[in-house]
Amino acid sequence: MRLSVNDITVEVPADATVLDAVRAAGAVVPTLCFDKRLSPQGSCRVCLVGVAGGRAIPACTTPAAEGMVVHTDEPAARRSAQLALELLVSQLPARALDVPAERSELVRACQHFGVTQSRFDGATRNQGIDHSHPYVKLDRDLCIACNRCVRMCAEVQGTFALTLAGRGFDTVVAAGTGGPWVSSPCVACGGCVDSCPSGALSEPGLLDPRPISRTTTTTCGYCGVGCSLQVHVRDEQVAAVTPVHGAPVNRGHACIKGRFAHAFTRSRERLTTPLLRRGGRDAPLEPASWEEALTVVATRLAAIRDRHGPDAIGMISSARATNEENYLAQKFARAVLGTNNVDNCSRLCHAPSAVGLTASFGYAGGTNSVDDLDDTDCILIAGANPTEAHPVIGARIKQLVLRGARLVVIDPRRIDLADMADVHVQAKPGSNVAVFNGIARVLLDEGYADEDFLRARGSGLAELTALLRDYPVDGTARLAGVQPEALVTAARLYGRAQRPAIVYGLGITEHAHGTDGVRTLANLAILKGAVGTSGCCGVLSMRGQNNVQGASDMGALPDMLPGYQHVTDAEIRARFGRSWGTTVPDRPGLRILEMFESAIAGRVRAMYVIGEDIAQTDPDSGNVRKALAACDLVVSHDLFLSRTAELADVVLPAVSFLEKDGTFVNFDRRVQRVRPALSPPGKATPDFDILRLLARAMGADLGCQTPADAMVECATLTPTFAGISHARLDRDGPLHWPCHGADQPGQGRLYLDSFATPDGRAALAARRYLPPGEQPDAAFPYLLITGRRLEHYNSGSMSRRTPNSRLRPRELLDLHPDDARELHLAEGDLVEVTSRRATVTFPVHLTDTVIPGELFTTFSFPDTPTNALTSDATDTETGCPEYKVTAVSLHPA
Amino acid sequence: MLDRLRQAQAEDGRVDAQDLQRAAGEFGWPVAAVTGSASYYADFAEGSRGRRHVRVCEGTSCFVSMRGQHVAHLEQALGVRLGECAADGSVSLQGVRCLGFCYDSPAVLDGHQPGSGQTLGGLFGDPHAAERRTTPGWVEPLKMRAAEIPYASAVQRPVVLAGLVGNEGPWTVWPVVVTGSPDQVMAEVAASGLRGRGGAGFPVAKKWSATAQEPGPRHVVANGDEGDPGSFCDRLLMESDPHRILEGLALAGFAVGAGHGVILVRSEYPMAAERLRAAVAEARQSGHLGRRVHGSQVDFDVEIVQGAGSYVAGEETALLHNVAGLRADVRARPPYPVSHGFLGQPTAVNNVETLAAVPWIVSHGGAAYAGLGHPDEPGTKLVCLSQLFGRPGVYEVEFGVPMRHLVEDLGGGLREPHTLRAVQVGGPLGGFLPPDQLDLPLLSRPLEEAGVALGHGSLVAVDTALPAAAILWHAWAFGAAESCGACTPCRVGARRGLELAERTRNPARVAEALTAHEPLLEVLRVASLCAFGSGVSRAVRSLLRIYSDELRRVGE
Repeated sequence: MRLSVNDITVEVPADATVLDAVRAAGAVVPTLCFDKRLSPQGSCRVCLVGVAGGRAIPACTTPAAEGMVVHTDEPAARRSAQLALELLVSQLPARALDVPAERSELVRACQHFGVTQSRFDGATRNQGIDHSHPYVKLDRDLCIACNRCVRMCAEVQGTFALTLAGRGFDTVVAAGTGGPWVSSPCVACGGCVDSCPSGALSEPGLLDPRPISRTTTTTCGYCGVGCSLQVHVRDEQVAAVTPVHGAPVNRGHACIKGRFAHAFTRSRERLTTPLLRRGGRDAPLEPASWEEALTVVATRLAAIRDRHGPDAIGMISSARATNEENYLAQKFARAVLGTNNVDNCSRLCHAPSAVGLTASFGYAGGTNSVDDLDDTDCILIAGANPTEAHPVIGARIKQLVLRGARLVVIDPRRIDLADMADVHVQAKPGSNVAVFNGIARVLLDEGYADEDFLRARGSGLAELTALLRDYPVDGTARLAGVQPEALVTAARLYGRAQRPAIVYGLGITEHAHGTDGVRTLANLAILKGAVGTSGCCGVLSMRGQNNVQGASDMGALPDMLPGYQHVTDAEIRARFGRSWGTTVPDRPGLRILEMFESAIAGRVRAMYVIGEDIAQTDPDSGNVRKALAACDLVVSHDLFLSRTAELADVVLPAVSFLEKDGTFVNFDRRVQRVRPALSPPGKATPDFDILRLLARAMGADLGCQTPADAMVECATLTPTFAGISHARLDRDGPLHWPCHGADQPGQGRLYLDSFATPDGRAALAARRYLPPGEQPDAAFPYLLITGRRLEHYNSGSMSRRTPNSRLRPRELLDLHPDDARELHLAEGDLVEVTSRRATVTFPVHLTDTVIPGELFTTFSFPDTPTNALTSDATDTETGCPEYKVTAVSLHPA
Repeated sequence: MLDRLRQAQAEDGRVDAQDLQRAAGEFGWPVAAVTGSASYYADFAEGSRGRRHVRVCEGTSCFVSMRGQHVAHLEQALGVRLGECAADGSVSLQGVRCLGFCYDSPAVLDGHQPGSGQTLGGLFGDPHAAERRTTPGWVEPLKMRAAEIPYASAVQRPVVLAGLVGNEGPWTVWPVVVTGSPDQVMAEVAASGLRGRGGAGFPVAKKWSATAQEPGPRHVVANGDEGDPGSFCDRLLMESDPHRILEGLALAGFAVGAGHGVILVRSEYPMAAERLRAAVAEARQSGHLGRRVHGSQVDFDVEIVQGAGSYVAGEETALLHNVAGLRADVRARPPYPVSHGFLGQPTAVNNVETLAAVPWIVSHGGAAYAGLGHPDEPGTKLVCLSQLFGRPGVYEVEFGVPMRHLVEDLGGGLREPHTLRAVQVGGPLGGFLPPDQLDLPLLSRPLEEAGVALGHGSLVAVDTALPAAAILWHAWAFGAAESCGACTPCRVGARRGLELAERTRNPARVAEALTAHEPLLEVLRVASLCAFGSGVSRAVRSLLRIYSDELRRVGE
């Protein structure tokens, strides 16, 4: 529709507001209660504009109408807007206008109107501050009751922790019951702080009025969501991190980790110089120069290679490092050391996704862009707890459900999202394949399968149909320990949806039959024709670490070169060999857990570990220690002296994502730029440079002067990344892979024409349910599930060195109150948890989010080494460990 | 939720953090939403309650009659300050606006027991009450008495009072109509020209057809939050002819295709809620409500929800928040409740007086109703005359009659020895008319042009003895106490106004305070989010027209 703003004609969409039209005309109207991310409220009244007839209307809530004539400078409207602003200012203490303008929309609105003081006077607020929370700092006296924080918490974050309290003049934001902020249900996503227009809600680094010296846009280095963040630096320290408002993935949102947990970068425990043991294994680690350390590593690696062969060296690359570093790491292993023994920790989490999704659809990643979730009418979420592990996606799912999407939750725990689900299938750990087969059977039996799609684009229906005869609902429900109705409801919700989406996580993959779990889950999307079709929402896998997708994409895998190109393919090897000036070894290398076995057997003599704390995070950590002890040389790159670094012969100080240049690939295959916001402490050096220097010390040249060069080289060798370069990312923003050329877009929604499988069809998989590797018995009657909690991340090496530790200072074992009663345990009591491998003592937390007989904890704290307990069983196809099922016994300590 | 909070309050006199947590858990609500509510409504927010809870009316009529002295009397008699609870938890005193006894001001509500008149129903008759109260185990004998609402019809064919004065019983049209077509009801209401009687005057048929056009499920909500101090006609209807309201609501539900009706009754009217609940039970028994009513395909039932102390809850978006148990904040429209109302679903909100006219309209035909009143504004209106009038009470009158007719013929002028200084029309958002403007007709447009709004049709007489500063203070005090706080002009402006009113008590600051009123009244009028802020502005402006000379004289 067309309307006139200040005599300029603008064309705006049908649902536009007057404010949209004003902005389209390039005019400026100040706003205070308006935030693009939120539904408009029209309560501050400073956006009043004049319309024909001399009426003053709020621009933000008034729908634009055809032929409307708007004047932003209409005297009555402008005067009333200014008076409203002055009223607002009259309630605040003078310091409200001392907040730096770039941090206060209120100050900027005053500047717009030339307001330096209010013509109104009288009582001001006197409601005090609340600094109880380590991150969210409330100054009630600066609150302008605009309700943005409350709407942010409800509409964007979906936590509903905030409210306006009181009424009239005293109306002010409150959290939870109105007590201290830290005791409220606030999850510290920072949305309220980000939206607050007056500085009433702020954070430690922004309470300091000194200016920010520089701001860098980068990608978060915590989970795999891939939020775009702005890092604000002052005095060479992070002053604040804020979400990028227009960013495609996070859309102006963030979580407690990305937004606030940055103090680790300046922790005194950061490694700032190389360390090595000059007097052998039993000698202490001592500081050394880079030259000495690199010489030692180069010499000893070369000696082991020359004496025992290149396959006596195993390299573990890092899912937290950049794509360029991973590219260089696998190139180093293959071209300098001459081995395919390179793997990364996706082995421990999403290897079954890579293999399973490739087999079902063609590519080793999710089938769709997260943007497609906007159109879904039903989300089936299985084995993932996004509100804690991937909070920005958890919030997005809540938004979708609040907007009317149906929600199916399949999880052994009553996760946060289960409370808003239409059905919660609380299946036993390890029963995924049975659950998905049961749902598939209902989809077929009740006619929800898309027969046209299956005929034209699927394969394997006959075999699957035959297999599913063995999975009637009742029997399958029994296997999974759920009510048959739950399975049927889940199937019908998914089956009846127009555009159902599947979101899953490690609860599907980290099992003895994890690949089967992925395949049978993918079956549902294929049966429904909900993948590779226009408007489909497909299957999304939630990636645990920032670049776990990229590490595999870049070929840090024993059997794959970059872009999942098989190392066994001579033609591909030749292409890489020509570029690298060497011969790429043809035999697939060892996977992570095989490296440990080989080390214990004496075949692997050196372990080169980049940024991974295998002694804490890998399963059955007693075994890991044994493997490291058996090696002649252990090298570790890390930010901190991790459990693994403590066992290493040489420790090389690496840098954090905030100090790096490169790219990450997030969970929906989006390649995003990572830019250094800080300079590294001391002599800490990016993995990229360490690898180059080490190669040089070994007499080799890795090429790739810069990360940008590495991406260029990777793109020329890898068709799926051919169109991706730093220059293009800097110019156009994030790109999905596959991206086949510099002139072609990245593909968010895959397989619209054809699947990337050998026959171009989506492959249904007929897989039987097989019991998990670990089974409870009389001696080990409980089942321990591991996962993540909101405040901490993986090994906790980063998050524990931040004020997140004030919010969650130690690990707890979640235990159902019925079990606690039987064991005479009360909240906080210590309990010894014994598995078939080890015993670890935890304090218990009583909660009915786990069912009786099941337990939950994380491995984020080294003093409660959960992975000493975990199962040594692994996925039969990929070697991914069965972290999710460990049989244990409990004894009050 | 508000009932749940009342239950928590009944246990130990207060709603604390634990109560909030528990209530939130039971309802599956975020605790912050409960906190927001509990801190918003006066019934919960104003601190602890004693085992005996007394609510005293601070409405305009009580204020005018007693200059606020009744509050001081009561404080003395009960041994507790206004807004406080005795240390031993025995008694608490809450000021409310208002109890709807404006015809016999002042008034008090002791628990659910009302008392009215100069002695507050006899409460002041016992000088030793305060002493005895402190004696353990002693319960004060019940001797509170309140006057019944006087009412009369001043029209030939009473419509709204058809049951009370005209012997036209309720539920006569419903059993017949419900088996027919909703279009018939809609057509009669459209023909009648009936407009909303709550104050906004929106055409009822237009609202209903807009609701009916939205996809279901739909709801109808009766606004029984008669907040205007000075008005008590809704209380009369709800307490004395509740079935008429139910029938009107049922007809509304039928017309818009709603299966669910709600009546929100303010907490200051406990008897009204009780009578309505009883009426709902009777109507269900008689088959007027429930499934497949009178053998038709129509399901319709009604629930009664009690408010918890908020004037702004009478505004329709706030009312819907109140019905849901949330903070009664006003929100910007559009979207209007006809598309986004109760539970976000299409909802027609009508005042109870509006609904009480509907059975008569359907029974006698829209044309008959349209023939009443004035061509510009057909039909009848209930008006309420306050205690200072010679004959206070509720009168049904036709639109278009002169205001002077109401004041002098029906009201009989002021009772001796009082002299009329101003008539407050339409409650705290309406405005004040001086005696020489009483020839204006009872019609929205001419009144609006004179700077007052008809509102809900209350007339509170203000006599010459009340000082200008006191009435100005009273007007702003109401605004400041009842502003919901959603929009800036009203949230801050009402407090600024109260402060200016306080300044006018200081002769040296009168001129400055009057000048400072100008921008304040302007921003409230132009920029407020709902009719509350602009109404307060209008009322104060009309008040200043009458009283600014007197205020200035004090200043000189």
